[in-house]
Amino acid sequence: MKKVRKSNGPGAVRGFMEGALFLAVLIGIWEISIDLFEVKAYLLPPPSAIAAELWVSRGELFEHGIITMGEVLWGFLLAVGLGIPVAAVIFFSSLAKRTLYPLMVALQSIPKIGLAPIIVVWFGYGLSSKVVMAFLFAFFPVVISTLGGLASTPANMEEHFRALRASALQTFWRLRVPAAMPSFVDGCKVAMPLAVIGAIVGEFVGSNDGLGNLILLATGSSNTPLTFAALLTVTILSLGLFYIVEILGRFVWWRST
Amino acid sequence: MVALDMSRPVAVQAESRPAIRIEGACKWFGDLKVLDTVDAEIADCEFVSILGPSGCGKSTLLRLMAGLVPYEEGNITLLDTPVESPSGDVGFVFQTSNLLPWANVRKNLLLAAELDRKASQPDEAAIVAMVETLGLTGFEDSYPHELSGGMRHRVAIGQALIRSPRVLLMDEPFGALDALTRDHLNVELLKIWQKEKKTVVLVTHSIAESILLSDRVLVMSERPGRVIRDIRIDLPRPRHPSETRKDPLFGEYAAELGRLMGVA
Ligand SMILES: Nc1ncnc2c1ncn2[C@@H]1O[C@H](COP(=O)(O)OP(=O)(O)OP(=O)(O)O)[C@@H](O)[C@H]1O
Ligand SMILES: [Mg+2]
Repeated sequence: MKKVRKSNGPGAVRGFMEGALFLAVLIGIWEISIDLFEVKAYLLPPPSAIAAELWVSRGELFEHGIITMGEVLWGFLLAVGLGIPVAAVIFFSSLAKRTLYPLMVALQSIPKIGLAPIIVVWFGYGLSSKVVMAFLFAFFPVVISTLGGLASTPANMEEHFRALRASALQTFWRLRVPAAMPSFVDGCKVAMPLAVIGAIVGEFVGSNDGLGNLILLATGSSNTPLTFAALLTVTILSLGLFYIVEILGRFVWWRST
Repeated sequence: MVALDMSRPVAVQAESRPAIRIEGACKWFGDLKVLDTVDAEIADCEFVSILGPSGCGKSTLLRLMAGLVPYEEGNITLLDTPVESPSGDVGFVFQTSNLLPWANVRKNLLLAAELDRKASQPDEAAIVAMVETLGLTGFEDSYPHELSGGMRHRVAIGQALIRSPRVLLMDEPFGALDALTRDHLNVELLKIWQKEKKTVVLVTHSIAESILLSDRVLVMSERPGRVIRDIRIDLPRPRHPSETRKDPLFGEYAAELGRLMGVA
């Protein structure tokens, strides 16, 4: 495999240092302001309180985080596993392009947050309703990006394969699939954070555990530091999952060539 | 000036069985007439170049011969078979080098063989020899984006050559190359052609190249393209760029073709 290496020269290090410093200053201002203006902790806790809460509740946050991560990953994998074949069918069948595709676009326009209550009614309080929510959020970007990738196969390459008398199957696997990969990876990068949102929304509407559930409980009992700690955990989870996609996506190094 | 028989009428051939026969081929793209009753015959093992102004339909004519685009009128036969779809006997070099960006030089060279597993597969020695011929030694594992434009073009030429097809259709294969590499590959192509006895149709913009390589040069008109002249190149073989160019006949042909192409 060929890697496109990013230069980690002094510029990158300096950029990171500057970013970190800026963040530190902001957190400092936040901390001081809470003291200065005597903001009540249940409205906005100081960063130190959030940090303390993160430490104290680390076991709880971890457990709920694992649950949410499971929901997100299942929903995401389902979106990829179903999205690819659906995109392929739409790409190859003009009937599907005329029927399935407009229907999908229409369904995509339904605010999915509004669907959450009925999804919970249908699939219960457990894992499956969250998986479905994560799936609903992630599915469309996967389909659209895969479809765009398949359609973006250069015409001159198709002609070349025709001249070489490649079968339809060979053209698909040896040309269209690799040509579609960069766009597909981009779609996954969009889909993964959306899947996190989907799972959290699902947990908000009806759940017994997960970070979304924890946020609701903490806020309900005015444990605002825990709310923030859970939010931070969700953010870290989302970032982590995004970077996993990003790193896996580097196997598709020919995107920019 | 030596009187040359350069004004033979179009498409009157008495050669052995032709490798490619084009009879009254017409081609429209929508309302645009690109080819107008093209007639041509290309004998087995003949080397024929096609010259013509840009946009006159040279690439289109080559695609017709390869069965890559349908045509509205006329007949085209290739090795005694009416052309309907691409044939396994044809190697095609496109005007743009169509390399797979995710495959290295070796994989790109082997693409044709890999797509047709029933055909005889080139062995390691053949690949090494081809890479050497193309002047790409040391770049076997490079990817297209790591090659220069000319190198990419050479890989594309190798893609067509490696299966040693009976008919080689080449669309300006050397257009992107510098004069030296071009001369080198011209010589290599002549060697391959002489050794493997194949039929070659070469579209080119270079009058000198067409004279150097060909048995015959077909000159096409402005669009809608038709073959307006068919000039036999009676220069002795084997030819070599520097020597053949010194031949007084070479100058005569060049002058005549230049006049036809409106550049002299
Ligand atoms: N797929 C296509 N659809 C519509 N028009 C086309 C298509 N391919 C070629 N043409 C038109 O046909 C004409 C001839 O094109 P062609 O590529 O055969 O020219 P050419 O002689 O090879 O030119 P050049 O020397 O510049 O490569 C051009 O006017 C071009 O616009
Ligand atoms: Mg052309």
